[in-house]
Amino acid sequence: MPGASRQFLVGLILLLLAGGAIGWIYGYAERGILVAALLALFWQVRHLLAFVRAIRTGDFSVFRQGDGIWQQIFSAFSYQQGRAGRYKRQYRQLLREIRKSTDAMPDGAVILNEANEIVMCNRAAKTIAGLKPKKDRGQRVDNILRDPELTRLLRSNEFAQEIDIPSPVRDDGWLNCRVVPYGADQKMLFLRDVTDRIRLTRMRRDFVGNASHELRSPLTVISGYLDSMSDDPSVIAEWGQPIAQMRNQAQRMNRIVAELLELSRLESAGPADDTQLVDVAKLLTICRNALYQAGETPEIELEVASDAQLRGNNSEIESLITNLLSNAIRHTPADGRITLRWETSPAGGVLSVADNGEGINAEHLPRLTERFFRVDPGRAREDGGVGLGLAIVKHVLGRHDAKLDIESERGEGSRFICRFPAGRLSVSAPVPLRQPPASP
Amino acid sequence: MQASDLTDHISRRFNKDLEDLRNMVLSMGGLVETQLSRAIAAIVSGDSELGLQVANDDYKVNKFEVNIDEECSRILATRAPAAGDLRLIVAIIKTITDLERIGDEAEKIGFLASKLAAMDRPADSYRELKNLGTHVSHMLRDAMNAFARLDVNEATEVVLEDERVDVEYELIQRQCITFMMEDPRSIKRVMNVTWAARSLERIGDHAKNICEYVIYMVQGKDVRHTVISEHDDLITD
Repeated sequence: MPGASRQFLVGLILLLLAGGAIGWIYGYAERGILVAALLALFWQVRHLLAFVRAIRTGDFSVFRQGDGIWQQIFSAFSYQQGRAGRYKRQYRQLLREIRKSTDAMPDGAVILNEANEIVMCNRAAKTIAGLKPKKDRGQRVDNILRDPELTRLLRSNEFAQEIDIPSPVRDDGWLNCRVVPYGADQKMLFLRDVTDRIRLTRMRRDFVGNASHELRSPLTVISGYLDSMSDDPSVIAEWGQPIAQMRNQAQRMNRIVAELLELSRLESAGPADDTQLVDVAKLLTICRNALYQAGETPEIELEVASDAQLRGNNSEIESLITNLLSNAIRHTPADGRITLRWETSPAGGVLSVADNGEGINAEHLPRLTERFFRVDPGRAREDGGVGLGLAIVKHVLGRHDAKLDIESERGEGSRFICRFPAGRLSVSAPVPLRQPPASP
Repeated sequence: MQASDLTDHISRRFNKDLEDLRNMVLSMGGLVETQLSRAIAAIVSGDSELGLQVANDDYKVNKFEVNIDEECSRILATRAPAAGDLRLIVAIIKTITDLERIGDEAEKIGFLASKLAAMDRPADSYRELKNLGTHVSHMLRDAMNAFARLDVNEATEVVLEDERVDVEYELIQRQCITFMMEDPRSIKRVMNVTWAARSLERIGDHAKNICEYVIYMVQGKDVRHTVISEHDDLITD
């Protein structure tokens, strides 16, 4: 027992004993004890009231001096209070630091609760998206950033995708939105001003489109004259070879320009129409027959495991298959084997082109779909490839909500797999594997 | 009335109904805003495909209007709201009519854009239409913001803004008349431009109407057909 408490108890007992003793002298011991107890009670109540008053006024000067029980209570009380105040200050400081750091972020960050209502947002969210940190608290974020796309994104609870929406504060501006899950049932919405990026992309696209368009007319003139010169008997025989080469190169350039134009058309158009049906199996047969030449090209096997049709653009799917197939033919020796396969599952449709040709090194895989990217720059030019085939494939797939996977091993061959989502297929029952004869 | 007043009922379902209704109106507003900006983009960039797309998408706006209307009648019938809640419902019923009209005007502009794309384009590629369009879409955006935030100040500003839109429309009309007098062959094209400008001007009027409903909803004051600048008691804080 601490000193002050023992002292208090001893004092109380002594007081009662003293009262009892005085009362006993006069013959009323009980009354003496009672009077002493009342005195003690009166003294305690006075201190209790003084303490309550001191808490209210904050003036504890009475309790600062001495070492009685009330002084002990005061010192314990003020110690607790001081500690709580210190914690409060620390937390406030921490909160201020966090707030300062989120305000320093160049991107807008908005904390949302499960109903997509704004819990907190930083300063960038105010400047780039026009949110008002105080006023909009508790307001649903898509009530302020009213874009149907954003509403859809917030409702879908799909956290992998990003979308670009028109900026609500900047004319011709664009905002990139990304949602990440955060804590229990909360979400964080990141907003980034991507106006410059979108403008650059558009400029590049327009430039490529315009440049290829402008190149077209001079090329037509050049190839026209070259054509007539190659047929003209009056031209000196020594010029025959150079003219033939020039014609070849002019044709090549024509092809490049045509593919560039195709590419820029694909880039600027929206998602492909999903009301038309494409008969993939039939297209595979057509493309195969067009490219297959017995003895010169590798065997092309056709495996059609489904008669499901694809919702999309017929000519784009045809160019997709042609590009993949002609790539495979170019990179497979004549005694090799190419397999075209179309199959469907509940997850979607898979169109794959596999060969057992030379294969691709793993480090080249990520760059394959870039325009004019070549694994072997020295060699590829001679085989007639333009270098835009896979870029076109990628864009066609993008327009059909599909994905391209490439599996390849050096020396073993490659497999190009196009995965179409189930929503792009027209419903029909899967049929047992049927294999048409290998040659037409 | 504050935004928090809406969530102040004993019946939690009623709170949710009102909150959902408000969210639906704002979603509809977002759709209409997108339609308008796409329509303007179509006319400025001469993109006939985009213009037709806007015209084809108008059914979505109409569907919204029908749904919200039904929901309003349901709430009126089952909850019999009073005071601020009643004003909210009345304001919403009127707001969606104006939003639907804005959708119709955007549809018209989309059609005109697809027509204009086929004709030869002036050197300034319809800069004046772009300016008016930007002006009007800002008004619509601010009107919907005022609706979302129940902000009377912002609503008042939009109402005042409408006069400037009217002046701008007047200028475009004069310019168009001059073009037609200079070169009668351009009349067919310039007529379409006047129609588009007219539609944009009407959208400005509808945005102004929405703001008047916002003022009515928040303060219970009917400021239609009055001079807004004379109501000096409107501005709060």
